[in-house]
Amino acid sequence: MRRPSIRSLAGGAAGITSGVIAGVVLTAVSAAGPPAVPNPPALIDAAHVPPLLRMPGEPLRLRYSIVCTPNDGGLPCDGSGTVYIRGGDGGQFRPFALRRGHDSKEGRYYVDVPAELASAAAGFSYYAVLRDDSSGATVTVPSGGADTPQVSLPLLDAIPVGLGRHLFGRVRAPDAQVAEASWGAAPQDVGLAGSRELGYSGPSSFDVEPDGTVDLLDSVNGRVMSWRRDRREVVTLGGAAELADFAVDADGGFDVLEPRGTLRTFRPDGTPKWSQTLADRTWAKLAHGPSGPVVLQQPSEQWMPVADKGTPLTRSAQARAAHDGKPLANGHEIVVERVGEGELRVAETASRSTVLRAWRITSDTPIGEVQLAEPLGPRMVVVTKTYTDDRDEFVVLMLDRTGLAGSFSVASGSWTETAPLARFRLTAGGLYRLRTTESGARIDRFDLEVPR
Amino acid sequence: MRRLIVLFGIGVILSSAAGAQAYHRFWVNCNYDAPTFMTTMTRDAAQDYANAARYEGYQWGGGCWNYDDVDSYPYDPPADTSTHGEGGDCSGLTFKTWRESTDTWRDGRYYWRALRNVHGPYDAASFRNGNGAPNHVVAKSTAGVMDAFASSTHVGMVFMRSLYGGDQIVEAKCEACGTNIFYRTYRSDSSYGGVGRWGWTG
Repeated sequence: MRRPSIRSLAGGAAGITSGVIAGVVLTAVSAAGPPAVPNPPALIDAAHVPPLLRMPGEPLRLRYSIVCTPNDGGLPCDGSGTVYIRGGDGGQFRPFALRRGHDSKEGRYYVDVPAELASAAAGFSYYAVLRDDSSGATVTVPSGGADTPQVSLPLLDAIPVGLGRHLFGRVRAPDAQVAEASWGAAPQDVGLAGSRELGYSGPSSFDVEPDGTVDLLDSVNGRVMSWRRDRREVVTLGGAAELADFAVDADGGFDVLEPRGTLRTFRPDGTPKWSQTLADRTWAKLAHGPSGPVVLQQPSEQWMPVADKGTPLTRSAQARAAHDGKPLANGHEIVVERVGEGELRVAETASRSTVLRAWRITSDTPIGEVQLAEPLGPRMVVVTKTYTDDRDEFVVLMLDRTGLAGSFSVASGSWTETAPLARFRLTAGGLYRLRTTESGARIDRFDLEVPR
Repeated sequence: MRRLIVLFGIGVILSSAAGAQAYHRFWVNCNYDAPTFMTTMTRDAAQDYANAARYEGYQWGGGCWNYDDVDSYPYDPPADTSTHGEGGDCSGLTFKTWRESTDTWRDGRYYWRALRNVHGPYDAASFRNGNGAPNHVVAKSTAGVMDAFASSTHVGMVFMRSLYGGDQIVEAKCEACGTNIFYRTYRSDSSYGGVGRWGWTG
């Protein structure tokens, strides 16, 4: 082997050195990130809480937040808009210009619904087109506009249910523990993520199949754990899905709704089927609909189907097929509205504009979110949260035509964060609750009396 | 010459060994400009400000972002300030949205532009306790638009209450989920308390 000369050694060193310098420079340039964007692009968003279920004689003001590109002066949006309203759920809409108020705590822009529309026996339906006057950007609420307007119904015969002041600490023990797993990554464990500083998340949702099989979304480990009679099965989904909601299809496949608004579907063996982005920016709950998964979305505040008999729907198709109520297999809908601090209105409707039965629930203790409102035989089962500033419990209400047929309290039992409205599932076999503790996760069952 | 080119290539490959650290550079885009003192501060302007931070990512201890709707450095290790990625953390986003001062005794209104790198003196627990002149505890049942719910580990602002009794919360949640508007049930969760900002003007 020929001995290298000083010249060739120097040349080699120069080559490596220049290569290192060039590499560092290139890396630094690429790592500097995209160029700073001094001004945000034009954007517009909105928020609105529709008064879906009204008591006769209530003043009716529709309020909207118009949210747009922040300006350097730190001033609010220069907005405007039109609300299109019609009596009942058919016919021509009439335009009403939004007025701009002084306060924005519940939405700065508003319109008072004329008395002749507000008092219509069949209620009224409406949608709004909101505008940022400085950019010209517009947004329609709900997303489906005139195709799927919000319907506001009068509750003429709502059954009153007074809960009084809630007594904390009188919780009912479950009738059975149907599933349990310790924290960990082993096949028999369920995953836990986070820290004392960041907070913890664990299994974010679950479902119960008609045959009693319990399926738990092990979000951290990216898999589904199933308790099928006396054996446990694990199906890998291939990726974490923290804080996702979850439902099991009739064919045994899985629907996983990710926090950023993508519904991913999987076959029973865990292989991906399809995925679809939601129509709206925010979601609250994934549920079973008559022909596929449905999702409660905001700002529309409507239930939208994401698939029709296995075929995913585009975002616009979702919006055009939206409903104010959660759709049931028999064509009816369950409409829910939380009002003020301690009132909850629930109605079963048909054809969007006919109230079949309704309840007006009032409580002296504040009421939080409604986890579940579903019929069970002749009754309506409602699971909601009641709270003070330092205590909270779930309350299970069984409603019938006489009012409150039964109720009990359930400990909140949430050591980890889950999907927001995924703590309970109702089947003919009972009410199931997901609970987490420092040692692991479990699913309990509460047996409900079902009259024939 | 061929050898020089080969060795140049080796040098480029060697330089990539330092690349693991080189991606922590979003903060070179940020500035340290003084905030603008404001006489007004409305809740809907705060909605505008926080809403524009959506999709810009999450950075533990951070408070600097642009407006390209992309998290330039997602999935950094959590709870590590030195990663210098894009976005605020939960308390940094709240601090900037609420136009607060870095001096806890000042209750004036200070507008911080998005690329101004500032986190502020409060963590989530401080907000929960209502610490600092501009902050105070509110009853959770009365919390409205751009009030907040805070626990010992997290704080998020009410974008709007929602039909089923939960809230649309605008928050910098975590590295994996970034900053966005999520539906949450913090209002009824006993680990969270209600927090407000004094001085809204509309």
